[in-house]
Amino acid sequence: MEAGNPLLDDYVLGLPGTERPKVCFLPTASGDADHYIVRFYRAFSPERCQPSHISLFRRDRTAPDPEEHLLQQDIVYVGGGNVTSLLGVWRAHGLDSVLAEAWRRGTVLAGLSAGSLCWFSEAVTMYNQSRPPAPIDGIGLLPYSNCVHVDAEPRRLDAYRELVADGMAPGYAAEDSAALHFVGTDLHRVVTSRPKAKAYRVAPGEVTPLESHFLGPVAVAA
Amino acid sequence: MARTIFAMGGGGFTMEPDNPALDEFILSLSPAPVPRICLLPTASGDADEQVRRFHATYGDRPCTPTELSLFRLGSDPVDVEEHLLSQDIVYVGGGSLRNLLAIWREHGVDEILRRAWEQGTVLAGISAGAMCWFAGGVTTSSGTPAPARGLGFLPYSLSVHMDGEPARKPVYLDAVRAGALPSGWAADDGVGLLFRDDQFVKAVSSRPRTGAIAVRPDGCTPVMVEQLTSREHPTRQRTAPFEVLELRSLRYGAARR
Repeated sequence: MEAGNPLLDDYVLGLPGTERPKVCFLPTASGDADHYIVRFYRAFSPERCQPSHISLFRRDRTAPDPEEHLLQQDIVYVGGGNVTSLLGVWRAHGLDSVLAEAWRRGTVLAGLSAGSLCWFSEAVTMYNQSRPPAPIDGIGLLPYSNCVHVDAEPRRLDAYRELVADGMAPGYAAEDSAALHFVGTDLHRVVTSRPKAKAYRVAPGEVTPLESHFLGPVAVAA
Repeated sequence: MARTIFAMGGGGFTMEPDNPALDEFILSLSPAPVPRICLLPTASGDADEQVRRFHATYGDRPCTPTELSLFRLGSDPVDVEEHLLSQDIVYVGGGSLRNLLAIWREHGVDEILRRAWEQGTVLAGISAGAMCWFAGGVTTSSGTPAPARGLGFLPYSLSVHMDGEPARKPVYLDAVRAGALPSGWAADDGVGLLFRDDQFVKAVSSRPRTGAIAVRPDGCTPVMVEQLTSREHPTRQRTAPFEVLELRSLRYGAARR
């Protein structure tokens, strides 16, 4: 849902390999912010897919049974926001185990920022900018750690390196516009919506840039 | 200093923005001449509309209103503990009780609020923000009314919106009868229950012909309700000072009413 750049959205829609896949947006990490839900429906229009969303703050307005609805989706797209609140609310509604079941059944789980961090066993959150970056346990479908926005906020990568050096599981850092595509628990490839966006493998004492694939048109040599 | 909780079954700035009786009563609960009052809109997902109405109501009253949006700490950083512990009043808005408690626990806000309460901060709230202080209540967080646990600062139960959402009351009475919830109260919209330490003091209301009942396993009895009158005529348009209007429009968009 990058403004004016649908490359990652298009990539996500292509993953299930079905015509007009069912995509459900989970805006929990934003507190189900209205403007975010509107942006989702703009980006994922009904010509291309079957969009829906689940609001956990206003249960009466959306699908009556989130579990049943989520297990019918081809794609679940998790929006950004506050990962600490996201995980708390999901656990309170039992959605962590529903999403794990959806994943085991083959639903594509996608998301950005908090919606990326949540899938890993550990992650780095900067939920409160007045505090230093802190480790948090995700729902653990991927047995690695994750850190996002490392280009926009460079101190995150430093904090992440230190946390991994101190015993956090090795994992992956992503810049804005770079996406980590896992098949099962294996990293399949890194795709980007901007030519220079990067992702890194982070292990104790090493930060390794990963080969990435730009999704846009290849620049023609002059 | 007495520990104070004011729990509303409904009403206040989110539900009756033209009737400030409960909002003014809350300010009167603090001995501070210009109390610092902080809105916690967590249960609504920090909805803009709730924040806007809070400032529209409290922006030109003798108090210092702020809001603490846990979802916006990324863009609007605040030391949560320091901010909450420096308030005279914490006002918790309505929404999803289950989400409210889950988010507070993840952020440690439940423990901070217990300390605030113990040091004399007035804890007020509506709907989910009222039931959260009790051992339990009746939530519609899953769509249909069901008993739910609260923080347990008060060892009773509370059910809200008794007149506005009548489906809650039978579920509540059954839960108390069966022992799933401790004894407590059900309150109409506009009715607030005041507690000092863990003692019920009185019920007040912003609306005529509203009430509350005390509920025990063996039945329920009506509670006497004191009718509040706002210092202002509820239908008269209030005009905020120019600077206040300007500040509101800068911070919250078209906040004039």
